[in-house]
Amino acid sequence: MQLVAGVDIGNSTTEVALAEIEGSRIEFIASGIHPTTGIKGTKENINGILSALDDALRKSQYEFSDIASIQINEASPVIGDVAMETITETIITESTMIGHNPSTPGGVGLGLGKTMAFSDVEHYQGDEEIIVCIPRDIDFAVAAQILNQKLASGVKVRGAIAQNNDGVLICNRLQKTLPIIDEVAHLEKVPLGMQAAVEVAAPGKSIETLSNPYGIATVFSLNPEETKLIVPVARALIGNRSAVVIRTPQGDVHERRIPAGKLIILGERHKAEVDVELGAAEIMDSVEKIKPLQDAQGEPGTNVGGMLQRVKKVMANLTDQNPDSVAIQDILAVDTFVPQAVKGGVAGESALESAVGIAAMVKTNRLPMQQIAAALQDRVGIKVEIAGIEANMAILGALTTPGTNKPLAILDMGAGSTDAAIITAKNVIYSTHLAGAGDMVTMLINSELGLENSELAEEIKTYPLAKVESMFHIRREDGTVQFFDQPLDPRLFARVVILKGNGADDLTPIPTDYSMERIRMVRQESKRKVFVTNALRALGRVATDGNIRLVDFVVMVGGSALDFEIPEMLTEALAEYKVVAGRANIRGVEGPRNAVATGLVFSYFYRNGGGDK
Amino acid sequence: MQISQEMVQQIVSQVLAEMKAAPPQPSVSAVLAAEGKLTLRDKGVAQKGTNAKEVVIGVAPAFGKNLHYTIKKLPHDQILREIMAGIEEEGCTARIVRITRTGDLGHIGNRAAKLSGSGIGIGLQSKGTIVIHQKDLFPLTNLELFPLSPILTLEKYRAIGRNAAKYAKGENPTPVPVKLDETVLPLYQPIAVLLHNKEVLDIVHRGDDIELEAQFKE
Repeated sequence: MQLVAGVDIGNSTTEVALAEIEGSRIEFIASGIHPTTGIKGTKENINGILSALDDALRKSQYEFSDIASIQINEASPVIGDVAMETITETIITESTMIGHNPSTPGGVGLGLGKTMAFSDVEHYQGDEEIIVCIPRDIDFAVAAQILNQKLASGVKVRGAIAQNNDGVLICNRLQKTLPIIDEVAHLEKVPLGMQAAVEVAAPGKSIETLSNPYGIATVFSLNPEETKLIVPVARALIGNRSAVVIRTPQGDVHERRIPAGKLIILGERHKAEVDVELGAAEIMDSVEKIKPLQDAQGEPGTNVGGMLQRVKKVMANLTDQNPDSVAIQDILAVDTFVPQAVKGGVAGESALESAVGIAAMVKTNRLPMQQIAAALQDRVGIKVEIAGIEANMAILGALTTPGTNKPLAILDMGAGSTDAAIITAKNVIYSTHLAGAGDMVTMLINSELGLENSELAEEIKTYPLAKVESMFHIRREDGTVQFFDQPLDPRLFARVVILKGNGADDLTPIPTDYSMERIRMVRQESKRKVFVTNALRALGRVATDGNIRLVDFVVMVGGSALDFEIPEMLTEALAEYKVVAGRANIRGVEGPRNAVATGLVFSYFYRNGGGDK
Repeated sequence: MQISQEMVQQIVSQVLAEMKAAPPQPSVSAVLAAEGKLTLRDKGVAQKGTNAKEVVIGVAPAFGKNLHYTIKKLPHDQILREIMAGIEEEGCTARIVRITRTGDLGHIGNRAAKLSGSGIGIGLQSKGTIVIHQKDLFPLTNLELFPLSPILTLEKYRAIGRNAAKYAKGENPTPVPVKLDETVLPLYQPIAVLLHNKEVLDIVHRGDDIELEAQFKE
């Protein structure tokens, strides 16, 4: 009888499978797990390996000295990195419009008139229709009193623009309901003496006139040519509860594409150049046409150039190579949005600008696994062998999932890269590594919610959400209610929280004013954009003729397979291709963990004449 | 914070002096200026509200009665008006109740919250210290606490009223940001103690919570 340990050093965890082998009999006894110490592929890993071995041995009746052989994997030498580039910006000229959404505008309706400063209104007795601009230093009661006086004396006040958050307060004190848009931070930029329209919709509704080009045309009596020009203004106001449009001679709103530079993709035979500002779809089209990639470069002196240079430099430092010799082997581009301040905005409004997130994957020279093996052998005095390629080992392990058969494909979704491998009925194994995985999802969540806190984004990615509805109960994102016997921490009251577990101590508040639904949507969309896209891409590369339908079984292994919703998303997406896809269950007990470690033990078993492959 | 021996002695001697001598009066005109502007009329014992959109502002025993300015000399009528405006701007209604049995901020806030139809209350001491409270909380916890009243401005009081209303609506407001200023404590500690001493003079043993009607004069 021999005791064999398979050790898989992953990016985040080191896993161990322990088995007894006797002739043609193999029996798994225990598995162990420990966070990887140091960066994968460095000698610091040894401490983690020893702890993981200890963990497994503790669950068995064996001692360290009983182990006959340790099998470690040939780690796949890929490292991924992510970056993001904003490609549009919204510019308002001549303060044409105020398109922000104050939480509490005053009144309701549509008002038309000439903009007039509050100080001028006090003495105004004319019969023109006016829109009053109320600056910060005017108290709401004073403003209301003077507006009431003017309305009583017959001045045609049709609406107001306030600098303070005073809209409801002023409106509540007026004898007549006027639309009032408030919280306009840069009121001094509003051009005076111009025709303007103020519209406020009832709570729960959005404006109808100013978000419609013909509505604006009606209000300002525009001719067809002018109506064409007003379309971007109307478009920018869609969905708002309140808005102001001011008619100025040169006023305009436009969305400008920011030249982000060209991406140069080099293939074996072809070469393509794509403008990054064309968006992710164009970039991915080129990547698919040119694949397999030899390298990718950014146009020197542009944003994308700097971005790819950074990625290469990080990789070079990590693997001790010359940055020039680092070649990018795959790129995943994803369209996303970033909340950004609008240029020329009067109210400090922000718009969701388009951005492109890019993940790049770099193949390095072999990681120095040989050195780790030798150092480990010296340390423990047990024979240490490098057993085989990671993907092949993962397949051997994955085949222990009950209900699977060859041809079988595995999807290993980690933090930096998405890996796929397939074993055909004739036992031939193909594998591929693609850029973009968990880290990219974290980046997308971070930027779309404007968090500027990647640790928080990581937690939003990992756990489900809930809303604290009272001191004693929360409502989870699926609608179910959970009660607590003890009052919750007051800091959690009314907040959207991350549910790290079931206890009251496992709730982490998210410090934004986004609703739970919005955060959930961003999280799920980000996961779909990266994991569903990459799963299809990866399977397309390893499947016969690139036809995903020819794959019968797909099992998901690795860290992201432990996610609470990614496996379901992929099961759903792959069901369209009539593929059986699901989370692995290694040896029927381990779930998606321990595939590679288990595969390593099997590989040893087969090599030493046990069983038949 | 560290409370040094000297500071304690200093405070004690000031308190003693205060107890012996007649309290130093602010200039008569200043008192009159603030006194006339806010009338808080008693309307009997306060009942628990049923209106889901109300926020109850619980004021301390001497608020607007024997004390008229916060520690930073902000007139009580102005801060009360700003808090009420903040609540109104969010579409909620404010109700004012005088808590007469205690001068403790946490208890004032919690009693106010328990009287509030929305379960959200504000506790406000005469020296200007303010808290947002919820009915199910222990009195000494809070939703948002602003312990350094000397650095609060009228805008902050408005924002606090607004946030209280947002909690009442079940929204998820960002807590009102306040800067921390370590120098405030030693500078204002003695005055805070004096003001609190005056406040507790008006405590009624086991007194009822009194519904108030606020009238502002320009």
